[in-house]
Amino acid sequence: MATLQTTAPTEADHAPDRPRVRRKRTVAQRLRHDWPLLLLALPVVAHLMVFHYWPSAWNIIAFLDYSPYRPFWENPFVGFAWFERLFNDPYFTPALLNTLKFSAANLLFMFPLSIVLALAMNSIVSIRLRSAFQSVVYLPHFFSWVLVVTVFVQVLGSDGLISNWLMGMGGERLNFTSNPDTFMLLVWMQWAWKDAGWGMIIFLAALASINPSLYEAAAVDGANRWRRMWHITLPSIRPVIILLLILQIGGILSVGFEQYQLQRSSIGYQSTEVLDTFVYYQSIVGNQGESFGTAAGLFKGVIGLILILVANNIAHRLGEQGIYQKS
Amino acid sequence: MTDPSPSPRLQRRSIFKATGLITAGAAGLPAVAACSDIASQEGTAQVTEGFDFLPTYKEWPLPVEPDLVGEPPNHPSAFTSYPEPAPAVTELPSGSGTYELTVPIWGDTPSSDDPYYAAVADAWGGTKIDLRHADGNTYADTSVQWLKANEYGDAIQLFGWMLGSHSNFRETVVNNFYDLTEVLKGDIAERWPLLAGLPSASWGQSVWSRDPDDPDTAGIYGIPMNYSGGQGNGILARVDLMEAANLAMPTTVEELLEVCRAWSDDANGKWAFAGLDWFVGQWFGLGGTDGWNWDPEQQKMVNNVERPEFTEMLTFRRTLWDEQLLHPDAPTGTLDPGAMQEAGTVLFTQDNLVRWNDFNLKVKRGEAEGEVAPLPALAANGREPLVYMSAGVDGWTFLNKDLSREQVEEFLDVANWAAAPYGTTEYQLLQYGVEGEHFTIGADGSPVYTELGSSLIQAPINYKQLCGQVQTFLTGDPDMVAKRFEYNASIKDYAAENAFEGIRIEGPADFKAAGSTLWDQQQDIAYGRAELSSIPEMVETFMSNGGENARQYYTDAYLSAHGE
Repeated sequence: MATLQTTAPTEADHAPDRPRVRRKRTVAQRLRHDWPLLLLALPVVAHLMVFHYWPSAWNIIAFLDYSPYRPFWENPFVGFAWFERLFNDPYFTPALLNTLKFSAANLLFMFPLSIVLALAMNSIVSIRLRSAFQSVVYLPHFFSWVLVVTVFVQVLGSDGLISNWLMGMGGERLNFTSNPDTFMLLVWMQWAWKDAGWGMIIFLAALASINPSLYEAAAVDGANRWRRMWHITLPSIRPVIILLLILQIGGILSVGFEQYQLQRSSIGYQSTEVLDTFVYYQSIVGNQGESFGTAAGLFKGVIGLILILVANNIAHRLGEQGIYQKS
Repeated sequence: MTDPSPSPRLQRRSIFKATGLITAGAAGLPAVAACSDIASQEGTAQVTEGFDFLPTYKEWPLPVEPDLVGEPPNHPSAFTSYPEPAPAVTELPSGSGTYELTVPIWGDTPSSDDPYYAAVADAWGGTKIDLRHADGNTYADTSVQWLKANEYGDAIQLFGWMLGSHSNFRETVVNNFYDLTEVLKGDIAERWPLLAGLPSASWGQSVWSRDPDDPDTAGIYGIPMNYSGGQGNGILARVDLMEAANLAMPTTVEELLEVCRAWSDDANGKWAFAGLDWFVGQWFGLGGTDGWNWDPEQQKMVNNVERPEFTEMLTFRRTLWDEQLLHPDAPTGTLDPGAMQEAGTVLFTQDNLVRWNDFNLKVKRGEAEGEVAPLPALAANGREPLVYMSAGVDGWTFLNKDLSREQVEEFLDVANWAAAPYGTTEYQLLQYGVEGEHFTIGADGSPVYTELGSSLIQAPINYKQLCGQVQTFLTGDPDMVAKRFEYNASIKDYAAENAFEGIRIEGPADFKAAGSTLWDQQQDIAYGRAELSSIPEMVETFMSNGGENARQYYTDAYLSAHGE
């Protein structure tokens, strides 16, 4: 019979053929023991229940011809009719492809940029210079998209600062903020200005946790700056990189709304329509109702969940923790 | 080295299983979907005439006759002088209730503790109506959610043009709002003489049915705002700049294009327009209800997009863009054309005609320079001009269905007071406020807003649209009234025909959604992001994604309304 460990372990306890086991505690015992922790967790659990799980249950309206004006049980069941309408919509596929395009670009160009920024900042020795650099690169995160887009139009717009300067020099009017062909570059520039600095913060925290003696030992062994980064820095922050990468993959169908909606009229819907704007224009502006929007949201959620589980699984197989520790 | 993860490796069989499940699920979608149709996405058509339960009309005699007599509603009569106001409500009701009314506001929200509100409440009998101001720019869309959540207070004001944001507005009305039929039915002249003096068409347009197929379920669900007509929007031109450039007022679309070419100078920051889109259709004869026109020869509805004039219209818009007659940032939709016109960088603005009056009053006050005037009715290719006019109620005040009958009657007491027309003390207090605080009497005897009155009463809607007046007139600056009266007379004969007169029609949801995309595609062509040659494909997509179904729907509604 298994017993609780009450004395110092003996040599025999480490024998491979006698695994140490603990007596399973009853629920009452666990409650008595853990109640302070459970109490601490209660607000978060309540928040999750009220604002996440309860609304999630309402995803069921994606399968109903829902109207808020009749009792819930009187809403007719329409099966996958809303999904069928969603997938048959001629503008759904272009919106999905645009979403994937922007997500891929974000993943390939923005994610590494934050790591590079963090590494660059970590290498700055002067504390004053470091704080100044940090402030400059992450403060734009707090600007709204309205402000970001306005600044870009004022500077790079057809009637903006640079365009007028070019015209004054006898050049052509700049066509950048209303050109669908260069929209991806414009979006990337806006991301880089607004969010690269913010993304850097978590990597900086990871970098701060690296034991400095590793660098000292490597330097004594003759490793140069690049070698130290390659063999110490990057492996040390790898779990964080993988964690953020998995979360990013899970949100691959959510690239945001305001940035695209605000530039939709100047660039045109074909280049700016992503899933979120598609849902807004078809469901709210186009009057297709709550069920249609919920079906689109559910589609996004299910795909996101599948992607996050697959990415997490792959991470585990590569020996990483992923988003949770495998037991 | 050991495997860091004890879990089994990816197995092909698992992947096949998962893929099979997903494939089977996807294949099953159409089969399951075919089990049920989506009924809520169908449109509704509501007759708004011929009811026997409306308030019995009893003319309310005007205290003063207008100076200029027009042909209402498209050509309203006008006052060129301010009459001595007379009281309209002789027996003041006594109200003690407090209500909350949701109203839109464009601009700053006024302070709610100004004496104006107390003065108005005292004047109409003591009933307290607190205003819940909500941003007018997003009001139409957000009101959808307030109504569904029943979070709009005791009453809400909605303008007619806002209904487009609501899918199945009939369902919203009959489930949310108080059915006023029993309260207002028959002779109401004794208690509410001004409400009885509202045009019967106003009350008819406030009717919705619980079951659109059953006329017996129809009822009055809203207090109508003003019954008006004429043209609300227009193209305002800086006539002083045109005169300086020796350019005459255009009388055709072709002449307009020449004026645009003669005046614009992209390199030097001068453009004919800062934006031109929703107004332009009428210059090419593209009228109809939701774009549909009855073709008597084919005995069916034809949509504007199917007509060659649609291509002409887009070609015109594209020309403006290609020839740099339009501001280069026009596609952003963020320009302030009014300010640019005032600064002299654009010649024309696509505008509400209220700005015609506002601009010229600013000039009179010395706050701006120049003069604006609307373009006359224009047409292209030698056709007869067409002008969009909307004769009907501007909107409604809807009362919450949770109110008691006594509360509704108290609210109607207030509405009766607010229906007092120009030339009454009620109108003066409601529209101008308290003399000395919110307005003063000018040299010509007309009220002139003080700065406080301008921001607190003139700009916000407040209670001014709580109920329509028994009759509406052109009023204000005598010069502007005379000009507007003359302008209305010049365009009234070009009013676009409404094939659905006497019917309120709401198209099917897929038609509305297809229309939203069609608009985006038009913008693409107009701003050079797509070619004119893509129009046939665009039209085909629109028709196959809701347009063709809507044709049948509008045709059936038309035939049924015309007894065919």
